[in-house]
Amino acid sequence: MFISIQRFHRSAVRIGCLAGAWLCALHILGCSSHTSPRIAIIPQTEGMSIWDAVHVGAESQAQRSALTVYWNAPTREDDVDGQIALVDHVTHDRYQGLILAPSQSLALISPVRRALERGIPTAIISSPLPLPHSANLINIVNDDELGGHLAAQRVVAMLNGHGTVALLGINPDITGIMTRAHTFELELTRVAPGIEIVERHAGTFNALHEQQVAEDTLRAHPGLDVIIALTWDTADGAYRAIESNANAHATRIVAFDCIGIPAFDQWKRLDSIIQQNTRAMGQKAVEALNTRMRGGAMPADMLVPPRLITRDNISNADVREMFSADLELWNWRWSLFK
Amino acid sequence: MKNRSSRLWILACALVVLVPGFWLASRTWLRSPARGLPYHDSFSSGKSDEWKALGGTWELVDGMMRNDSDERGAKLLTGSTWWRDYSIDADVYLLGVSGDAGLLIRSSDEEQGVNAYNGYYAGVRTIDNSVVLGRAQHSWMESAQRSLVQGGIRPFQWYHIRLLAVDCQIAVSVSAPGEPLHTAFGASDANCIHSGRAGLRSYSSGGIWRNVSIQPATHHDLDAMLAGAGEKGSTFQHSTVTTDSVQLHTRRMLEEAEERAMAVSSASTQNIANLRFAPYATPTRYTVRGVVTLTSPSLYVQDSTGGVYVQTSESLHLKLGDEVEVTGDAHPGSFSSSLQNATVRVLWVRTPLPPLSVTASQAATGRYDATFIEVRGRLVTKERAPNNTLLLNLEEGAQTFRAIMNPGRGDSLFARLKPDSSLRIRGICVTDPSMTKSLTPFDLLLRSNEDLDVIAGPPWWNTGHIIEIVVAALVLALIGVFLYHRVENWRLRAIMQERERLAHEMHDTLAQSFAGIGFQLQAIRNGLTNASDDVRHQLDLASSLVRHSHQEARRSIATLRTEELETEDLISALERCARRMVQEGNIQVECQKEGDQRTIPLRIVDALYRIGQEAIANAIRHASPSQLVIRVRYAASSVQLEISDNGCGFVQSASLLGFGLRGMRRRAQQISAALSIESSPDRGTRICVDAPLPPHASVFVWPLRVIKAFWEHSIYARTTTSNRPSSHR
Repeated sequence: MFISIQRFHRSAVRIGCLAGAWLCALHILGCSSHTSPRIAIIPQTEGMSIWDAVHVGAESQAQRSALTVYWNAPTREDDVDGQIALVDHVTHDRYQGLILAPSQSLALISPVRRALERGIPTAIISSPLPLPHSANLINIVNDDELGGHLAAQRVVAMLNGHGTVALLGINPDITGIMTRAHTFELELTRVAPGIEIVERHAGTFNALHEQQVAEDTLRAHPGLDVIIALTWDTADGAYRAIESNANAHATRIVAFDCIGIPAFDQWKRLDSIIQQNTRAMGQKAVEALNTRMRGGAMPADMLVPPRLITRDNISNADVREMFSADLELWNWRWSLFK
Repeated sequence: MKNRSSRLWILACALVVLVPGFWLASRTWLRSPARGLPYHDSFSSGKSDEWKALGGTWELVDGMMRNDSDERGAKLLTGSTWWRDYSIDADVYLLGVSGDAGLLIRSSDEEQGVNAYNGYYAGVRTIDNSVVLGRAQHSWMESAQRSLVQGGIRPFQWYHIRLLAVDCQIAVSVSAPGEPLHTAFGASDANCIHSGRAGLRSYSSGGIWRNVSIQPATHHDLDAMLAGAGEKGSTFQHSTVTTDSVQLHTRRMLEEAEERAMAVSSASTQNIANLRFAPYATPTRYTVRGVVTLTSPSLYVQDSTGGVYVQTSESLHLKLGDEVEVTGDAHPGSFSSSLQNATVRVLWVRTPLPPLSVTASQAATGRYDATFIEVRGRLVTKERAPNNTLLLNLEEGAQTFRAIMNPGRGDSLFARLKPDSSLRIRGICVTDPSMTKSLTPFDLLLRSNEDLDVIAGPPWWNTGHIIEIVVAALVLALIGVFLYHRVENWRLRAIMQERERLAHEMHDTLAQSFAGIGFQLQAIRNGLTNASDDVRHQLDLASSLVRHSHQEARRSIATLRTEELETEDLISALERCARRMVQEGNIQVECQKEGDQRTIPLRIVDALYRIGQEAIANAIRHASPSQLVIRVRYAASSVQLEISDNGCGFVQSASLLGFGLRGMRRRAQQISAALSIESSPDRGTRICVDAPLPPHASVFVWPLRVIKAFWEHSIYARTTTSNRPSSHR
């Protein structure tokens, strides 16, 4: 029995040493699989192609900076809990950087603060997040005030100073949308007091609901001149409502943030789009994080100007590039066997 | 032994007397009708820890206790349920035109509810300008006698109320400032409530209380009060009621104009939620109707669609639960709106709204901005903000948020809160970055400290407690090991003492007898002059046997004697033992000591001594040596004992492992020592024992020693079990 206990003891020690060696080996292997710094990019959703441009811009810059990109997002832009879970996952796994396009301006405060407390350089893109200043934080957001101005100026140009406008898709969850709405209203009132905003409606990310809202608006205001659609779901719903309403064929749409290249040929009532440059945001965010990760100071907050897109400039190369989701390195390299 | 037993008896008797005595004394003290009396409030110094609220919004304002709510039957209680005959005095100020406010006496079994207590209540009532006295027993029984107060009962005026209970007689007196007479009457309750707490209470009206004093009362006090000698009107202070006394009066005016105001139909009103879509560029005036959910630090009004912050320049004294109509310039915000430059009109007086129960994640969407909500959360930290507000940092799930409390009554609760406690908090959800400082998605503004419930304290298994357990376990292990060694030493000493006793016994009986027998045999031999040679030879043989037995007995006595171990070191003891054994022979004993001698545990010394004795005895008995060498080497962590002789030696084989050698091995094993025997014919024998010494005792070594001792004990037990059949063989 004494011998067997000693043998057992020796065996236990051997097994322990072996397990330790395996763990060390696995750890070394695990570490070696992430030799380049990892940054995570979490857009509002993966379900809309508008965010593919962010991916392209970020990925191209990341390849130049030798960074590995983790890309993931909820399938719906209103899945706030899903986005929070992804941010917490990135924080927990200690990524070296985080780029986030928040889908809610309040609920993401706590998760992003946790990331910052762990020293993860963070870039907020598209719509700002109200966070106190931090050396690891940068906001690279769409210039929504400019967007509101552009929309107002476009409406003034369309209506020659007189007419009626409906402001649809107001979504308090996203600060940028509220800024657009407020700036549009202020600018319109200032420049063209003869143009009246006859309707204001809250928006959702549900195109069917937005269609219902637009139909109600068109019924209430048969001679409505312009619908300002603050989100693309609202624009989608408004377009369908106009198409289904025989009396509303004079109504035109000025929309924000088209999810792909706008099809002006098919959407006759679509006048123009104010498009945020998500590709540039992704690119600049990766640049900023790379600077910070290499010990430099985070650049100052940036406002990326949106672009007014009309039938006249849709074919311009710079406009096409904003929507392009093409990245040469992503193209599959075929090897043909003979 | 007898003394110890006596001490134990005395201790037991003392415990039997003292424990019940202490229990009885503490019980008597707790149930004493005089405990805590006389009492006078410390409201002016901002302290009210001893008061417990049931309903209402009780807060200390300007050194007075104030309940702003119109809740029916809001109570604030203090004192002992064993208080019997006493009186409570207070100045009471009514904040409503259609309710009453007063004092409680002999109250118990209180719950939140209109008449949810057993006790007596007396107060001033505006509806019928009377002093009301009654008994509540989860229902209300009012005294048939009702006294009208001279000049009537008016709100926003101080009244001094005294409520007194002696035996089954309850009396109340009320006096108003400027009135020369006071109203007093009493009631007798045949089946009365005999004891209970004192308290403050209001019904359908807010109120302010000050100068609350409670003191024991007698029949003399009762008689004096009813006769008018106890009149307290002179104690009134005619100073300003509170800093917001003007607002209080304004409110009264508003309430009086209520009917008129209701008759004038206001312009079109909006849902509060619609304010979010008000024109942003040109502020438009809107009118909303809702219920007041917060009055301080800001005014919030809520309807079924949401809440709104109201900024008004008017000096109003609104109460929680008031239904109001607010007209103001709408400023749409991100998640809610505000009405600025607003005018507020009280429509109706109601009880406060219940909160909307939501999760922190839901609140963090901003959907409940400016709304009265209830959220659960875990307390992370607490702090005092610069303006002396109390700040609780909480978290639930992925969200963090803050709760902001006013100081005053919240102070004591704040001090008692422990981090990691699970809390349920009710308050107005605010997402405005100017309030949250963008640190959290939302803050909760608490109305009073009644809006905070501690659901559960911090979990017991926290880092501090785990460290405490580990430290306690280590201390216990140390104590256990210490006690184990003490017991082991006591056991060894007892064995040695027993051996010593046996040696003395053997010396006094067996050895003496052998000596006597030898002497007698020698005498017989000397006396037999004509005996045959066979007889002489047999007598010589017998004498030789006796002498041999005598020598064996002396050796055994020497082996058993261990006195020297207690007074001498190991080598000296072995030398003495060896010399005693060879004292009639010609064996030369040589002793050598190497290294620095150090103190060796008794257990090891005893084992080495026994092994040495056995080795010396074996050498003397079997090896016929001319020289015997005893050598002790002290190393850093071990001690070696070597016994060598130049005797005849032997061939090592299993058959030669007799009882002596087996005994030596067993003793060596007990002290984890290595025993080696080197011997060959005509070349002597060398027996060496290498015993490890324990390291110097320290906090870090003891646990290792404990584990090692257990391990060795386990192995030894298993080895003994497995070797038992062979030892039998």
